[in-house]
Amino acid sequence: MSHHRNLNHQAAHFITNERGSFFVYFGILIILLFLSTHPLFANTDNENQCIACHSDYWEEMQASIHSRNGVACQDCHGGDPAQADQALAKGPETGYIGVPEKDQAVQRCGNCHANVEFMNPYGIRTDQLARYLTSTHGKRVMVDHDMKAAACMDCHGYHDVIAVSDPNSPVYPSNVPKTCNHCHGNERLMEPYHHPTDVFDQYRESVHGKALFEKGNLAVANCAACHGSHGAVPPGVKDLGATCGKCHVNEKKYFLESPHAAAMVEGKFSECTSCHGFHDVQHPTAALYEKACLNCHATGTTEYQLGQAIERELNNAEQAFEKTKGTVKQAAIEGFFVEEEAANLEEVKTHLIEIKSVQHTLNNHFLTERHDAIVKSTDEIERSIRHKRLSHKQRQWMLVPIWVFIVIMVLVLYRKYKQLKNQKD
Amino acid sequence: MIKRLVDAWVRQRFDVDKMRGPVEKQLKKPLPHNVGWFHTLGSMSLFLFLSQVVTGILLLVYYRPTVNEAFESVKFIMTKPYMGWLYRQVHAWGANLMVIVVFLHMLRTYITGSYKKPREVTWIFGVFLFIFTMIFGFTGYLLPWNQLAYWATTVGTEVAGSVPIVGEWIRTLMRGGPSVGSETLSRFFVIHVIILPWLLVLLVLIHLFLVRLQGVATMERVDEEKEVDKAHGTPFFPTHVLKEGIVFYILLGILITLAILAPFDLGEKADPLTTPHAIKPEWYFLPFYQVLKYFPKLAGIFVVTLAPIFLFLWPFLDRNKERDPRKRPFAVGFCILVLLSLFIFGVVGYLSETERQLFGKTYYFDVYGLPHAGTAAEHMAKLTDAEVK
Repeated sequence: MSHHRNLNHQAAHFITNERGSFFVYFGILIILLFLSTHPLFANTDNENQCIACHSDYWEEMQASIHSRNGVACQDCHGGDPAQADQALAKGPETGYIGVPEKDQAVQRCGNCHANVEFMNPYGIRTDQLARYLTSTHGKRVMVDHDMKAAACMDCHGYHDVIAVSDPNSPVYPSNVPKTCNHCHGNERLMEPYHHPTDVFDQYRESVHGKALFEKGNLAVANCAACHGSHGAVPPGVKDLGATCGKCHVNEKKYFLESPHAAAMVEGKFSECTSCHGFHDVQHPTAALYEKACLNCHATGTTEYQLGQAIERELNNAEQAFEKTKGTVKQAAIEGFFVEEEAANLEEVKTHLIEIKSVQHTLNNHFLTERHDAIVKSTDEIERSIRHKRLSHKQRQWMLVPIWVFIVIMVLVLYRKYKQLKNQKD
Repeated sequence: MIKRLVDAWVRQRFDVDKMRGPVEKQLKKPLPHNVGWFHTLGSMSLFLFLSQVVTGILLLVYYRPTVNEAFESVKFIMTKPYMGWLYRQVHAWGANLMVIVVFLHMLRTYITGSYKKPREVTWIFGVFLFIFTMIFGFTGYLLPWNQLAYWATTVGTEVAGSVPIVGEWIRTLMRGGPSVGSETLSRFFVIHVIILPWLLVLLVLIHLFLVRLQGVATMERVDEEKEVDKAHGTPFFPTHVLKEGIVFYILLGILITLAILAPFDLGEKADPLTTPHAIKPEWYFLPFYQVLKYFPKLAGIFVVTLAPIFLFLWPFLDRNKERDPRKRPFAVGFCILVLLSLFIFGVVGYLSETERQLFGKTYYFDVYGLPHAGTAAEHMAKLTDAEVK
């Protein structure tokens, strides 16, 4: 114990004496040298004097993609960061603009982002500015000087801009609806433009919104998928089909074969939205025929009857598939080998997916063909499983004649054995 | 007319009358009076072996011994070919019944003291036949290449690898590499369908030859056996053969009934990346597997190896001249003890690492077969807590 105390005493003495002080100062020097190599401190030298006053913005910038690629204050705000004197740093000859107006900011961003030579090493497209100038947002800002309309930083952020591929970016696919809603959900802001502010709520409850927010499906349509991003414009009535058709290729193709295609050309029919709606589009079921057709066709009309016939076939095909799916699952639980039936069921599923696209032709002949193929295949699967169950039962019943034969043979042999034994005795 | 022609054709080429004597002598050979129903078990073992050969040949028509095709080919056999499901199930159940019947045959030989002088060599060949029957089971178990088989073989070969000095070499020899894979399947296949069947045929022939040569043992004391004459014995044919016929039909019925009412599942295809919980070997290895758990690695292997050594040496260790079990209390007592421990360790092995409902309560039987109140998950949580503390 006393030995330990002695050691502690010696150590304390060593630090307080001159040699000890030297080591302490030397240690501090090493730490300072190390810190001076850190990027945060590296830029605090004479190169960037802006930080002396605007350290908070500088902090924000640290995580940004711009800061990591050497973009500094003067690239957007102008000024001379080398000057320690505020008046000299913001002098007229330095091109200092302070906080840029939106139209100025767009130009500043475009200085780099529309420069093919400059952006080439980053593999980033350079048509954003050109597209923005064609968008409603762009026209309002650049032509009408309406500074309430969205410009680059309203969506991408200011000092803390991060890569679009970063899930924290406000323009990452899953964040786009919330970012748009930032302005489009603001009643006061939207009032002068007579824009509805419940679009986000509708979208969130739609089949697209649920897929994006609940299932995390980034490929699903968000605001930008239909309206565009930099070139955002509300799609006109005639463009709607093209917008939806970007993803729903087959539905679009079959729709063009339908009688509604001609009405669409005449501007009487809004391709997809007439039946499905738009922001609040729901997962469509055959029941849609009961509601959507009535928007234009009265009950009893041939068109309405056709819709009813299609609905019946779709329901029938779906029910046949679901029933057979249950049968195959149950048979697998019971221990039957159902790989073949399961493979055939997958084929039926493909037909079912196909029939859902083909229905857009509204051609009952095409639909009946596929419907019959589905029903035929499901019948075959059901028959095959019935046959397996039956042959399983038959095997068990076969035991009866087998055991009858065995018992007879045993009795005959035993009788003969007894006879021989009795003779011997 | 045809019969006469064939008879003449054969007689012109072979001395039929001269051959008839020894054949009739063998057929009508008198068997001692103590030959009962249990004496049919030897023939039943042979019948099951023949059944395995026939069903095995049928399986070979479709079976593919590669890791990519083995499982699928067995599935194919069970679903597509005519009666494929039947001969696969008869083969699987036949293997299990063969282990039981061969064991019971050996037990009968032990109880009736038939292994004693002068039939020690017949007993030793019999022990070899029993061991090879089990190896037949072990090698055949892997061939469907399902999860159960794959992992049971992994554990089985791992146990063999723990043998001192030669263990590593034996394991590599069995697996054909560091782990169970395509080489193992090839090796087990060759052993199962080429080496073991011919080896068994040879051993069965020697075993049968010895039985015929020395005759079936009576219940008289060693060195005091009297030769059975025709007047006092039971003729092998037709009297004993009729008994065998009766047992054969019953066994055939049991085999087919089991194949139909309790078919073996094929389960899932072997997946070396997914280790299932509680891997266990086939039931006939279960008592030994359980015993291994209670001893340190080497001691366990030593204890388990004692069983076959005892079987081989028993005729020489047992110096009692009596054959009647009532006059051999030690040997019979020892046998009952062994049977009881096989049964108990088998049951404990079966229960170990499972969850069971007993008297309305859930119990988890740990790796040593000890019951713990609660589910497996609760038991594991307790163990983890204890480890943390």
